Parts: sequence; structure tokens; C-alpha cells
Amino acid sequence: MIVLGSNSEVAQAFVEECLAKGEKFPTIYFLSSNPETTEKFAGHIQVKFFQHSEIVPLDLMNEIDYKTLENINSDLLFCASGYLGLSTEDGLYDDENTERIIDVNYAKLVPVLNFFAKKMESKRSGTMIVLSSVAGERGRQSNFIYGSAKAALTAYLSGLRNYLFDKKVNVLTVKPGFMDTKMTEGLPLNPALTASPKKAAEGIYKAYKNKKDVAYVLPIWAIIMLIIRNIPEFIFKKLKL
Amino acid sequence: MKPNFIQKVTNWGNFPVVEKEMRSDDSVSKIKKFVRENNEVIARGNGRCYGDASLGEHIFSTKRLNKFTSFDRLNGVIECESGVLLSEVLEISVPQGYFLYVTPGTKYISVGGAIASDVHGKNHHAEGCFSEYVIEFKLMNENAEVMTCSREENSDKFWATIGGMGLTGIILSAKFKLKNIESSYIRQESIKAENLDEVFRLFDESEDWTYNVAWIDCFQKGKNLGRSILMRGEHALKAELTSNLQKKPLKLKEKFKPTIPFYFPGFVLNSLSIKIFNFLFYNKQTKKQLNNFIDYETFFYPLDVINNWNKIYGKSGFIQYQMVIPKENGKEGMRQILDTIAKSGNGSFLAVLKLFGKNNPQAYNSFPVEGYTLALDFKVNKGLKKLVDQLDTIVDDFGGRIYLTKDSMSRSSLTNYLQNVDSSKFVSLQHKRIVNNN
Repeated sequence: MIVLGSNSEVAQAFVEECLAKGEKFPTIYFLSSNPETTEKFAGHIQVKFFQHSEIVPLDLMNEIDYKTLENINSDLLFCASGYLGLSTEDGLYDDENTERIIDVNYAKLVPVLNFFAKKMESKRSGTMIVLSSVAGERGRQSNFIYGSAKAALTAYLSGLRNYLFDKKVNVLTVKPGFMDTKMTEGLPLNPALTASPKKAAEGIYKAYKNKKDVAYVLPIWAIIMLIIRNIPEFIFKKLKL
Repeated sequence: MKPNFIQKVTNWGNFPVVEKEMRSDDSVSKIKKFVRENNEVIARGNGRCYGDASLGEHIFSTKRLNKFTSFDRLNGVIECESGVLLSEVLEISVPQGYFLYVTPGTKYISVGGAIASDVHGKNHHAEGCFSEYVIEFKLMNENAEVMTCSREENSDKFWATIGGMGLTGIILSAKFKLKNIESSYIRQESIKAENLDEVFRLFDESEDWTYNVAWIDCFQKGKNLGRSILMRGEHALKAELTSNLQKKPLKLKEKFKPTIPFYFPGFVLNSLSIKIFNFLFYNKQTKKQLNNFIDYETFFYPLDVINNWNKIYGKSGFIQYQMVIPKENGKEGMRQILDTIAKSGNGSFLAVLKLFGKNNPQAYNSFPVEGYTLALDFKVNKGLKKLVDQLDTIVDDFGGRIYLTKDSMSRSSLTNYLQNVDSSKFVSLQHKRIVNNN
């Protein structure tokens, strides 16, 4: 397994869920922008599951040395790369913040996903699981830089899924709603709609095993977004979501 | 949206409920920042204590400090972060032939919590408290420095922190020993005792057993006062098991866990329903003595089987009352306590009675003293404070004290026994209440 965004709580929960369910990986490759932090998790799964892993430094905001990724192959890729950034209220016109949101969630992520997609295409097998967000369904005033970057990612994944279909490679787009992680700590999220990393991992694993194309976490978000998507624009533009 | 870290927090008894700032992180630098920027910080593990322990103005939750660092399978030594639960330790240790030396009645407590409470189990008389097997731990102190504490290094801090209820700092990680087991089963003997005298006698006779506990029906009065079932056990050796069980001696029990999905309305648990439950519990064992083999989950963690069993008590919650009375007059003290409880009509399902052995004098903040300890639940209601007061008086008269991990409203004379824990940096609501004599 290849993991992008290795310090994400959801990514780590997903890795543990796979291992707990008996999945076997010769090696797990952790691509990480903070390898030291990832060491802790690598040690953890070694103790808990005897799982061998390799940590490969990769920071989307810096130049990527693709040579270090050449020998990394696997039939399963999980990507939790993401950056929420500042909300509209706090940093809409903060260019550095904007650039980072767009880069980490889409612009600099796509070439890396492409790199691994190409490998899977040539082997004619594999699954890519990538975390987008419900925020990508519709730009809303409170965080539309993030929302638009995720919208771009969702469209990319949909196109990639289409392209790779007859090459026997699956692409699963995961759309989390609210999640209880460090990224959202302190935000007033309705607990009934919020998934813990463990719950999210369980849902994603199920969707992966059932070869789904799109998975909402928690599933209720599929209904919420159905409604949100269909609110006419002349009404939506007045809302304060 | 500015992050707002203030949230409703409560422990296992759902009493009291407070609204305080609570943060959680696994980065040492972020934890340092939290400690530096705040006074009245208190660490919190899984919140399985009762009352107002681990509640404070600025609560640090160790839930994200949940990684294992190492497991020395040869010597049975585990090293992990303080938020790792004992249940998670067992998941990896049992299949490898190791069990916790000391475990309380639930496995859903954190390693940090086990140290801060210096928890005890059914084997205190034989094996002591959790701290006996702790080799070292890393503590973040008042100056936001990380100290390694052991019997050899920073030993002052080591002993102050053991049983110190988090008042010396935040435990970040720990290294501790596990015991060898041949199977995940317990050879158990359950013996019915008609009254208190009989159960005391059985405890004395069971000295050589590793695990001893008695479940008492605290609604019984008169000649049936202290009617109970004593359960004693040993880890089953592989050779003792039936051939069927011998095939997989270290099997983990399958996890079907019913959940209590919502708070039961207040009237469900009342003295009548509890009396009926207790009656059935005592009488379901028809023989005087029953010997069998049971899995460790059922023996050690009968309540853990039901998720959220605390909701059975309803929204107003409940308190746990646990005291220890020194052995010399322990029997008379217990008699008076049980008598008072039975007369009050207030009671829990089952009260748990244990006989503590001598505690390690180095662990001066640790709760157990050689004597009898009784633990039981009381639903929160109007007459409760008066009852607790009556019981406190008896405990006081007999020179006993109250377990801080359970305490919510006992008098300070019974709870003010911690030493070397005064710091403006680490303060819990419980400590404030005790020190201010509220």
C-alpha cells in the first residue's frame, strides 16, 4: 500500500482498519511531509501488526524528486493529502494561504496522483482511494477556496476513473462531511454528522471492498449534499452556510 | 469561524457535567504550548473515572497519544503512549501469552489513567497495584519539560505521580511489565455466602488464590446482611483446559457487544428493579459452589460487555462510592456500612467487596491500605448527599478513606490524603473541591 498524507488521522485509521481486517501488505510506503512524525505510526503498526513500512519524504510544497518514487509500487494507493487553511473570514485574501490550499488539495497533488496512476495503468490493475470533500460539491461562502480546490479534485478523479475504467484500475472518491480530527478541532460540528477517524476508516474500507466509485462519510452526507446541490442559485447566494 | 474548544465534559457517572476547554494533540511541542499558556491544566484519559477527577479549567485529552512504541515479547515489556487503552494492550498481548499484572474492573482505561489512579484489581493482596509493574514513564511537568521518571531517575516525581491523579503533570508515555499466561481462560470457583461473616471467612480462606472478589447484594438486611457470591480464580494452565480449548488456548473472545443506545428514563432503575436483579443474580447459581473455566473477559470485565451501561442510570447520572477500611476493625465497619445502605433503600446492582493486602509504602499516594474495600453505585437523587454523609461518618470513625478515582462528594478528611501534588499548573476540579473543603 502507498499512503499519501501519512500523518492524516484518517489515513492512519484506514491503514489500521485494513490490517485489523487481515489485509496483508509486503510493505506500506508512507509518503510524508513530516517523516519524523510518521515514524511514530510506523513503529505502532510494527508492534501491533508486525507490519513493515518505509517512510519516503514527500512535500507537495517543495520540489518533488520522482526518482525516490520510482521503485514504489503497489496495487493500493490511499491519499489523504489535504489542507483546510484559513476560513473566508480569516484569510480569503491571504495569497499564501490561498496558494497552499490550492496546491496541497489539487494543483501539486495531481502530478503525483498521475505518476502512480500511470504505474497502475501499465500494470492494468490497482485501486486509488482519494479523499476529496463534500465542500467540493458546491462553493459556499465560508470556505470556497478549499471548496473549489476539492471541486477540482473531484472532477479530476471522476475523469481519471473514466479513463482508467477499461485499464482495469479503480478510483474511489471519498467525500467526507464533518470529521473529528486535528484539522477540525474546536469547530462547532454537529456530533451526529461527524465521523471519528475510526468510523471514517470503517466506511471507506467497506466502500473499497465493495468496489464503489464514490463514498460519503458518513453516508448521511449523500442526502445532505443532494439537497444542497439542488438549492437554486438565487436562494443559495443569500445563505450563510 | 474561530475555533472554540469549550465543550461539555463529564466522566463515567455523568455527574457532574461541566463546560470547559478541552484539547487533544500528539505533538510534544503543541502540548508544551498548551501547558505554558494555561494554569489549572489537567490531563484526561478515557474518562472512565467518576465524579470530578480529570475535570479542570483546561483539560488535556490524551486520546491522540494512542500509539504503541515497542513490545519486547521475550521479557513481556510494553512501551506505549499514555492514551493507549488497557483493552488495546490486551488485544496484542494475550495472543502472545501475556496479560496485565493488574487490571481494574474495566479495560477501557488509559495507561496514563492507570498510573494516575494507581489502579488495583482482584489480586491486590497477591500482586499489588498497577505501579508495581511500571518501569518508567515520561511526564511533562509544570515547566513544560519532559522528564523520564523511574525508581532510579526523578524518583520523587515518580512516586508523587503514582496515584497522584494527574496533579503532578501530564503522563505522555509509559513502559511496564506484563505477566506470562498459558491460556486466556480463568479457572474459577464461585461460592455462595449467606451473610457477611461467611464471606469474610471465605476471603480469609482464599488467601492463596491470585484473584478474589465478592459480589454483594446490598439490599439484604438482618441475618442476610452481606449475602454474596465470592469468586476466586487463577489463570488456567494449558494442561488444565479441556482438549477443545487446548487447541486455541490464547483465543481472544469474539466481540459481540450490545449497546445501551440512550439514557433510560429515571424510573427504570429503582430499588425494586435492582432488588429483583440482585435476587436473580444470587439465585441463578443453584449450587453452593460452582467450579468452571471462563474466558478472561467474563471474569475480569463483566460490565464491559455492555457498551454505555452507565446510561442505564439515566440522565441525572450516578456516583460511585468506594472506601477502604483498615483490617483491624474492617468487619465491623463493613457491617455498619452495609446496614446503613440497606436501610436507605438506595443501592446499586451489586456492590463489589475486596480484601486489600499491604500496599507498597513507597507508593504513598496510592489508595489501598490493608483492609476491606467496598465499591458501589448510587443514582443521583435528593437523598444522596445525606447518605454519603452518613457513610463518610462511618468511614471516618473506622480510620478509612475514599478512592479519589470514584469520589464526587465525600468529605475532605477522607479524600485529602495526597502528598506533593500542590501546583498551580496542574489542578483538577476535584482537587480544588477537596482542598477548599467544599
